[in-house]
Amino acid sequence: MSATATTTTVNITINGKALQAQSGQTVMEAASAAGIDIPALCNDPHLRPEGGCRMCVVEIDKQRGLQPACTFPIFEGMVVRTETEKTTASRKQTLQMLFSERNHYCMFCPASGSEQTTDCELQRLGYRYGLTHWQYTPKYANDWAVDATRPYFVMDHSRCILCRRCVRACNTIAANHTLGLAQRGAQSRICADDDVQFGASTCVSCGTCLQVCPTGALADRRGAYMAHETELTRTSAVCMGCAVGCGIEALTRDNQLIRVEGSWKTTNGGLLCATGRFDVVEPKPQRILTPLVRQDGRMVEITAEKAMTHIAQRLRQLNSVAGLASPRLTNETLAAFQCFCHEVLETNEVGLLYGEVPPLDLGKPAVLQDLVTADCIVVIGGDPLERQKVLGFLIKRGSDNGAKVIVVNDRGTGLDRYAHTRLDLQDISHAAESPFERLRRTYHLRVSGVTQLKAACEAAQRPIVLYSTRMSTTVYAALRALQPKVKFLPLVEGTNAAGAAKLGMTARPVSGQGLYLLAGDDLPDGTPLPAHQFMVVQAAYRSAWTEAADVVLPSLTWPERKGHVVNLEERNIPVVPVLTPPKGLQADWETLLALSVRMGYTLSYQEITEISMTV
Amino acid sequence: MAKVKVASDWLAGCAGCHMSLLDIDERIVDLLKAADLTSTPITDLKHPPAEGVDVGILEGAVNNSATERVAQLMRSRCKILIALGDCAVFGGVPALRNRVCMKEALRRAYIETESTTDGAIPSDPELATMQECRPVGDVVEVDIHVPGCPPSADAIFHVLKELVEGRKPVLNGKFLDWH
Repeated sequence: MSATATTTTVNITINGKALQAQSGQTVMEAASAAGIDIPALCNDPHLRPEGGCRMCVVEIDKQRGLQPACTFPIFEGMVVRTETEKTTASRKQTLQMLFSERNHYCMFCPASGSEQTTDCELQRLGYRYGLTHWQYTPKYANDWAVDATRPYFVMDHSRCILCRRCVRACNTIAANHTLGLAQRGAQSRICADDDVQFGASTCVSCGTCLQVCPTGALADRRGAYMAHETELTRTSAVCMGCAVGCGIEALTRDNQLIRVEGSWKTTNGGLLCATGRFDVVEPKPQRILTPLVRQDGRMVEITAEKAMTHIAQRLRQLNSVAGLASPRLTNETLAAFQCFCHEVLETNEVGLLYGEVPPLDLGKPAVLQDLVTADCIVVIGGDPLERQKVLGFLIKRGSDNGAKVIVVNDRGTGLDRYAHTRLDLQDISHAAESPFERLRRTYHLRVSGVTQLKAACEAAQRPIVLYSTRMSTTVYAALRALQPKVKFLPLVEGTNAAGAAKLGMTARPVSGQGLYLLAGDDLPDGTPLPAHQFMVVQAAYRSAWTEAADVVLPSLTWPERKGHVVNLEERNIPVVPVLTPPKGLQADWETLLALSVRMGYTLSYQEITEISMTV
Repeated sequence: MAKVKVASDWLAGCAGCHMSLLDIDERIVDLLKAADLTSTPITDLKHPPAEGVDVGILEGAVNNSATERVAQLMRSRCKILIALGDCAVFGGVPALRNRVCMKEALRRAYIETESTTDGAIPSDPELATMQECRPVGDVVEVDIHVPGCPPSADAIFHVLKELVEGRKPVLNGKFLDWH
């Protein structure tokens, strides 16, 4: 937590061991840097220390009584003892009080386990300090409620120890300010907003509180009781939900995705949105495990051999074929698809199903955490709080940290309430009636507005401009002309649309007699597909698309993919598979390769890797 | 050396802790070389002898006037009292009742249960009077708490072995398991 620019070395002694620590550190930070474990409950390295639970008390020479290690700053010549009779007695007493305050019946709690398997930090300390019973029986009369009004996770006040980690996470990491405390003393209770039900509150279900909760007070509806942490495999991966490309920790068991946590090591800094954390483990439609072909109006299973022959035969009979791909695929798959369309299908009618990528060359790209330290944040078009939620949370955090927020839009967005200045965009496009009308819209910011933006960026030291697509060329030119200290984040829509754009693939109207739809694990959102006589769909799940297809080939889901994606920071992020694909299923580019061979053309693997290398 | 006398009894529990006691298997032979099981709910003699025992074991929580008397009797007749299992130590499953009022609990149990027809809440004056469900330690002084639902056979054997060998058992590591 200490972010002092210049640090000096401080000599301290912990448990008789001479250590060199950094000035500005707390006893806890210095101890954990030296591998000395001090028990704590309210302290979390990702949150501002509060010194509330008193589990981390230590003896410090020349200091009265016991002092909390998590908040006590180190000083030259400091002598600390972390494990003495006094600290043990005090910690045991603290644990007794914590256990007595609510109804901590471990046996009913999903976090409970043995000394080795428990996920509960309170229970772990109970074991560590050899608590065999409660000194003070809890007051059963206090009926601590369970709040299950939120869709993804529940709050059981009986298991809460009031460490306030959730409150601090909500306020300082997610910057949502939903959680707080109601009542006082023994009646204190975590509450949402003005003490309303969690489900009726301003909570956005980002789940950051759930990630930092030390006990089972906040429990994931789906993941609870499915496995202890010790039974899970933790893999660092990337969220494929949107173009923010948040780092995630995927927790799997028996090739099932049980839970997702936000990675603390990546630029999202532990944050995720409800989509990335919870929706990914929700039940999915029926998985496609074998190729399907339309026979008498029904989709029936056939072998890959027959499916490929059928596709090759039909495609050859058509004069023109168009290709559409999901922007959630990897660079490698998109490159293979593009190559397949150009060389095998001999068509230039290839594009993305959806996705929007503004020009990527306006200036120095920013990283997500720059928003936290920015002093001026300009948001031109788009709706990051809706479309790239983690970006929205970070803008709010920047605003909390004092950044001036300027929102430029043609309509109201959730960010308006954080805006110091709001400027209007003019729609200068002609009314058009094609289904791609949206793509043709162009917005313009009048010169007076541009002047205001320019002045704000010049006055700031760390300005960031977030900008959307479909601005007039004047606006982009003005942004490009801003001072070099301005950093830029494009509001890309579509997970890997930026990677696709680098390949030259964009969402655009395509047409042909045949349609090859590489859907991956995307599902239809109601947007109609271009007219066609024959359609091949390569998809992971049964959907309206596969039901309307002539031939369906299986595809992988996001946790099974391997490759790279480009996020809106323009980082080329490795996609690490966290699950093994079902038996017999191959990567999407391998399917395309096999099909190209069947069509009398060999797309060699080398060629595809060469293409991906140019990405 | 005289054998250590051990008696056990149960209160509001499920007998699971006694089953776990039996799970010490053949080790009971070694144990019986040094200890006498004078009375248990699963042997012929049910109540601790009047002349007293060295070690008393209680399973289950105190939930009415009858179990309260059993707890008091055992305390008065033993030197060292062990609370065995989560119900005896924490209140356990029976203590869930404390979250609803007694009347509601009785109505649910004797009238509303799906398998009951023409139910009635028993009112015979000879029946024990219900109380708020409490861990044994809230009613009588307990010397050794052995949590677990049930405590493992290893934990129970460890406690008894330490006691017959004249030491106060310390529970930690694998012997301490609250779930």
